[in-house]
Order: sequence, then C-alpha cells, then structure tokens
Amino acid sequence: MFWGKSRNIIVALEVGSTKVAAAVGEIRPDGTLALLGIGEAASGQIRKCEIVDFEVAQGCVRDALAEAEQKTDMVIAEVYLAISGAHVRSSNTRVTTLIGNDGDEISHEHLQELQDMATAQPLPTDHAIVHHLLQHYVLDDGTKTDNPIGLASKQLTAHFHQVYGLATRLQTTIRCVKELSIDVKNYALSSYATAQAVLTRNQKNLGAVVINLGGGISDYIAYQKGAVVHTGVLGVGGDHLTNDIVSGLKIPYAKAETLKKSEGSVILNPAEAHDRITLPGSYNFEERQIHRDSLNTIMQARQAEIFEIILEDLQSAPFWHEFSGTVYITGGASQVKGLVELASQIFPCPVELAHQSPFDGDQNYGRRPDLSTLLGLLQYARQAEMELPSARGFARVGQSLRKALASMKLI
Amino acid sequence: MIEFTQDGPFAEKVDHLFPDRVRILGLGQTGAAACDQLVLHGRPGQDLWVFDSDQLTIEGSVVPNKHLLGAKLVHGMGCAGDIELAREIVVQEENKLAHVVRGCDFLILLVGLAGATGVALAERLIELTKETGAKVIVVGVQPFGFEGWTRREKAIEAIAAMRREADSVLVLSHDRLADHPSTAKNIRHGFHLMHGLLAKTVQALAQIVCKRGLIQLSFADVRSLYGRYAGSEALENCWVSHVEGDMRDCAEDLVAELMEGALLADEAIWKQIDHAIVAVSGTRHLGLSDVQEMVSVLKDRLPANIPIATSASLDEENHEKVRMSVLFAMTAPVTVDTSHGALVPVKKNRPIAETGPLPTKDELEPPITEPVPQPAKPSRPPKAKPAPAKVEQPVQMEEVEALTLEAEPVEAPVRSSARTKSRFVAKQEEMQFEAPTRGRFEKTHETMYRGENLDQPTFRRRGLKIKV
Repeated sequence: MFWGKSRNIIVALEVGSTKVAAAVGEIRPDGTLALLGIGEAASGQIRKCEIVDFEVAQGCVRDALAEAEQKTDMVIAEVYLAISGAHVRSSNTRVTTLIGNDGDEISHEHLQELQDMATAQPLPTDHAIVHHLLQHYVLDDGTKTDNPIGLASKQLTAHFHQVYGLATRLQTTIRCVKELSIDVKNYALSSYATAQAVLTRNQKNLGAVVINLGGGISDYIAYQKGAVVHTGVLGVGGDHLTNDIVSGLKIPYAKAETLKKSEGSVILNPAEAHDRITLPGSYNFEERQIHRDSLNTIMQARQAEIFEIILEDLQSAPFWHEFSGTVYITGGASQVKGLVELASQIFPCPVELAHQSPFDGDQNYGRRPDLSTLLGLLQYARQAEMELPSARGFARVGQSLRKALASMKLI
Repeated sequence: MIEFTQDGPFAEKVDHLFPDRVRILGLGQTGAAACDQLVLHGRPGQDLWVFDSDQLTIEGSVVPNKHLLGAKLVHGMGCAGDIELAREIVVQEENKLAHVVRGCDFLILLVGLAGATGVALAERLIELTKETGAKVIVVGVQPFGFEGWTRREKAIEAIAAMRREADSVLVLSHDRLADHPSTAKNIRHGFHLMHGLLAKTVQALAQIVCKRGLIQLSFADVRSLYGRYAGSEALENCWVSHVEGDMRDCAEDLVAELMEGALLADEAIWKQIDHAIVAVSGTRHLGLSDVQEMVSVLKDRLPANIPIATSASLDEENHEKVRMSVLFAMTAPVTVDTSHGALVPVKKNRPIAETGPLPTKDELEPPITEPVPQPAKPSRPPKAKPAPAKVEQPVQMEEVEALTLEAEPVEAPVRSSARTKSRFVAKQEEMQFEAPTRGRFEKTHETMYRGENLDQPTFRRRGLKIKV
C-alpha cells in the first residue's frame, strides 16, 4: 500500500542560548530510533532560553532547520520542541476520585477522570501547563502502584508532577517556529527530554538527578522510584561563567569563551597559583598575560554557586530526605575541567558525567553533551509517536497532504 | 459536641464591642483552639469565624460560626500537613472565603504556622482581603523545635510568604514554653497556654485597632512594629504577656505578675526586644492616673531602651477587673553572629534629622580645651554602660550625631582633632557612582535569588580579589 510505505520521520528542535539545533530521526518498524542528521546554527539574540529579538532568533531557527533538511534530504513539516527558561515552575499535586462501580474495580475511565481533574487544576495567573507527569497511583489502603487497572479500591488517588510556565514566553518560542510554516506537534520540558537520553529505567528507579548545564540556563530533574519528583530551572548557565571572565579579566567575550574552554578549570590548584596564561594578540587585541589563579577563581565561584543553589532547591523538596541516588551532569557547560570534582564536593551523593543511550546513526553526536537534550527529545518524540493511535484512511491522506503542502510552503 | 449557651457576658443585651469592623478568623486546629479561648474567656460581641478541614476540630469548637472545608476532597480527615492538598481545598472553597472577607475593616487571622490548612487558607485570605482594601493582621505560632525540621521549614516558608503580603505578621514561638512547668508536666498544657496567649494577643490587637479607647493607638502603631515595612526579618518577633486583676490591686503587683509571663521567662529576649505596646482595659473607674501609674511601674521594670506605646479603653462588662496586655516587638533586622552562630538583631540606623544647614568643619571639630555643656538627654538612652562622667561634648554634637547616622559612643575625652575625625564612622556603604553592568544579560529578565542578582559576577558579589 502506497501510504503504508511512508517513512516515520520525527524532528526534534531545541532553541538554546548558544545554538539552535534540529535533529531528524526515523522510527523503524521494530520501534528503534535511527538518527539521520542534525542541523545547527549559532544562536543570536536568545538569552537564558528566551527570545530577545524575534526576527534574529527566527533566522537562526530557519538556518538550523534548513541545514537539517539539507543533511538528511528530508522536508521538515512538523517538529517536537524543547521548552525551557527561568519562568518555568513546577509543583507536585494529587487528585482523588471515588470508585463507585460494583466491586470497586478500577477502570480506564477512572484514570481518565483523574487525568481530567489534574488538567483542571488552577495555575498561577498567565501561566500555561507544559506537563502533567504521572508519579503513581495510591489505593485506599495506601498501596502505591503504577497501573491500578483491575485492582479494587474504594477511592483512587493520583500523584502528578505538573510543570508550567508563563504563557506569553511559551507562545513566543512556539510562534517563532510556526511562522516558518512548521507545525509544533508537541513540546517537552528540556530537562525531561535530557533525562530520556541519559537515564535508563533502572537509574530512574534507583533515584537520579540530571543537571543539564546549558549556555543560558541550568535545568535539573529528579527521579525517585521511577517517577519525576522535582524539576527546576535556574537562569544561570555557562554564559555566565564567560560573562564573569569578561568582567573580571577585562577581555573580549570571544577571547573569554576560548579561554574558558581551553584553559579554565573550576577547581583551584595551589600548585598553579603563580601560573600565567598568554592570550595571543590579534589585529585589535594586544597580547596579554592572565593569572591562571584569577581565571579559576572566577569560574569556581560561579560554578560552585550554581551547584549550591540547585542543591538548596533539591534539599527543600520532600524527596531529598530519602534520596540515595546519583547526580548526573550533562550539557554544553559540563565540559569545563574539574566539574565533577567540584560537584562531588558540594553534593552529598555520588556525582557522574552523564552518558547518552546508544542509538543508530552517527555516533559522534552521541559523545557531545551539548546535544543530550536534543537527542533526548527525539527519544521523547519516538515514545509519543508510538503511543499515538496511527492515522488511518482519510486522516492519513490529510496528514500526508499537509506535509506535502508544507514542503511547497503553501500553508 | 459542646453546647454553647449565651449567658453572662455573652447575653444579647450587651453591646457589641467590635461590631464587624474587626473580624477574627481561626484557621486550622491552632486557630480554632485560640478562638475557643476567645469565646470562653474573651469579650463579647467579637466577630469570630473558624475554618478547618478536620471535622473533629470543627465539631469540638465552641465558636458558633464554624465551617468544615474540603469535605469532598478529604472527607473531614484534614490535610495531614500536605500543603498542596490544602491549597486544592482552598481553590474549591473560594466562594466561601470570598464571602468571609467582605464587610470588615480589619481581618485578624489566627494560625499555626506549621499546619497545612491554616497556612493555605491564610495565604488565600490575605490575597482576597487585599482586593477588598481591608487590612490583614496575622497572628501565627511557630511549632515546637522537637516537632521536627520539616515542620519548622514549613513555618519559615509560611512566615516569609505572609510577610510579603499581609499588613502585619506577629509570630510567637512555642519553644518559649518548652521549659515552662505546665508544659513539662503535660505537653497539652503547653498548647493550651499558647492558645490562651494567642487569644489575649488578638484581644489586645482588636482593642488597639478599634480606636475607641481612653488613650488611643491605631493600626499604624501595630504595622510600624510588625508590618512588612518594620524591617524585621526575624522569625519570632512577638512576645506577649497578660494579666487580669482587681481594680483595687496595686500597680506593682499587677506588673510583677505580668512580667512573670510564660513567654518572658528567657532573659535573652531582652536583647532582642526593642518596642512595646501596652493595652489596658477596665471599668469606668479606671482613670488616666491609674493607667499612667501602671505604665510607669512597667517602664521601671523594663530595660531603659524600650519605648512603650499605651492604649487604654473602658469596658463596662469587666466587672471591676482591670486587664493589661503587653505586646513586645523586635523590629531590628537580624544577622548571623558568626562567632556564636546565633541570630542577633542589628541596631537600626537612626533617621536623618532635618537640622538645617550642615555643620561647619569647626563645628565638627570643636576646640576641646574649653569645657562645654552636656547634650540633652536622648529620647532613647543607651542600654550599655553609661558614658563616664568626665566626658564632655559640644552642644553641636546632637546635630552631628543625627547627620552621621550612627556615631560611635564616646568613651573618653578627645585630645586631638585627628581623634575627633575617627569617632564618626558612618555605617552607610560607599555610593557606587557607576551602576554595575550585567554585560551580556543586560536586556534579559534579571535572575534574582535571595535578593542577589545572579547576572552580576559571583566573584564581585562575594568580594573575591582578582589579579588582572
């Protein structure tokens, strides 16, 4: 059948502070994911994952998508979008329903009712929901379960972790993509997407915190017994380290960025206290000597502060008192030297650099921590696609027509 | 259920003392218990309401106007400390709460700060009351230390949230009663004692804000001590004592009993307390001279640096009784004393007085060889050891002290002009002529955390030295 032979292509898009990246993947008939290619463009006028200049940012998105299309020879009509920003908040909530039928047997309708109740929960003014992540169900005798269908109980309580953000800022990011005639099929919180790339089911069960150190923000997510128990976004990231170097050492931003990556460390080594680093001159910059100690002091102070704030937030959450898992660090800003050592000094639990789950395709992408959110979003998209009821008949025709028209820029 | 009969002071013939202007709401278990004390031992005519999600609390309360909330959600079982669940209840009962805040000028909320229902209700009621333009005073009580760090953290969060929104927040601490003999015998006695104190506090507050007294104070006096503009960041900022005696009792005995109040047992509190409000009420036989005598005796018993504001009112139903309540307050901001790790109040800067033209150099550095008269006695004498009798200061010193915000105490005669300069050390930080830049993040929303702008370099905020 002609329509049945079409490939199941999914596209993930991340509009970050450092770069805009789009990953194109294919869901194979056996359910596995193959990465076909990634298009990237340096971000312009995007700070802390929020768009400062709409037209410039839209240009970056267009460039990234165009590169992805060129590399994969695909036409992108719809994307899954990563959402983040310091405006994103989260909370844990629970809803309860009475099981009124004969035998008090829990059915799909009850779960749907709980889901509807959770969706109807009021949010702060001007905020819109991003996720309702189910944690677990609790029966009337206190038993926790992930699947209560068929069990008997007088009442059923569902615990959710809800993530929400300022509606206007969420809309701006989505509009930035939609105005390019690209449909946003769904979106996911960046940290939640990252966790899909770097955590296995076992790690989620044992307890894990994933900290994604991005350019403009640092977001984190905590899992306990397989469920999301806490998420957070701190509007401070790797760009702040660079900005601090610019401010402290009085050097241009580009030089500071290079210096941070090549020489910087977040651990102070007394043996290097008197070392000096030579900054090569250029046509408008005279060669200079920098105290290594100063560079590392600036970076250490900022990075330690980021970790301390995250730890403080985690400690304020109820789950932390019984948390016995591991902290995994990833993201573009996790590549600075001494990061795990510093984090180990601050977090009272094991700390590791995160590694991405294997996938089919170019393995070079898998070694880049700055792509963990994007690749995690592909995993999220794969899961979402597989859970969706497949379009049949006219719906599938309509879907394909929409893709074709989009490729011709008619809609 | 306890049946409440309206007789004695609660009979209908009695005029309402606080008609609708002041509405008192007991929220949660603690609030309900305190309101019960108001009904049983308080004045008649108070506009009392009680709300909780626990059916046992509601059924046990003697307050006629009581409401069980969230019955559909928790079936009268309470929230068991789950603040999220309590907030869900508040959302469900929004209409009921909106009705409560209408038609009053002052809303006094009684709440246990570690409870879920009380805190969630208080948060929402404060918001609703602000919409109506009425003033909100929160009287909260911190949990005992042994109740656990989690409950204490909840209380700290609740205090911070309420201080942001409410007009005044009075926080009492259960821990003050930990060593009290009645608490040592039975913890319930401790709770009972605190509920009684909360009731007396509310009664005194109601008297102050109602402006019907013999000597009047107003809501502004309360707000200046406990309001969000008072500068107090301390968790516990209120200490209360109450005494009730016969009109024939002498003032010394009454004040002596007052000073033996359960919350005043720890002498360390006198280092923190910096203001006091006294509320006296009695029958028509209570005269101004009686009030004056009582306050005078009280002043003698208190540290000299505590100013006292007094409110007095007549209460026909007091049956030859005189009641005296004192609310002590700490308004100074708190810092961490690193040497002892304890919270200590920082003395507030004195306001800059308008003293006309600035003093000349000669005035600032007067010739010290000539003896000059002593300055007038300051309105707030220093608590520390008095200056030696030999100290001689110029007349202009009073003006200079007001201008320099905080002058070091003079301990010895000044011998040189250089020494004179060093005596005046302003505590104000140096003014920054150049506003700090946020560099790359100039156009973005500021990332604030605990009052710090995280877009500013960390090393600069922490004062780290950088070699360029």
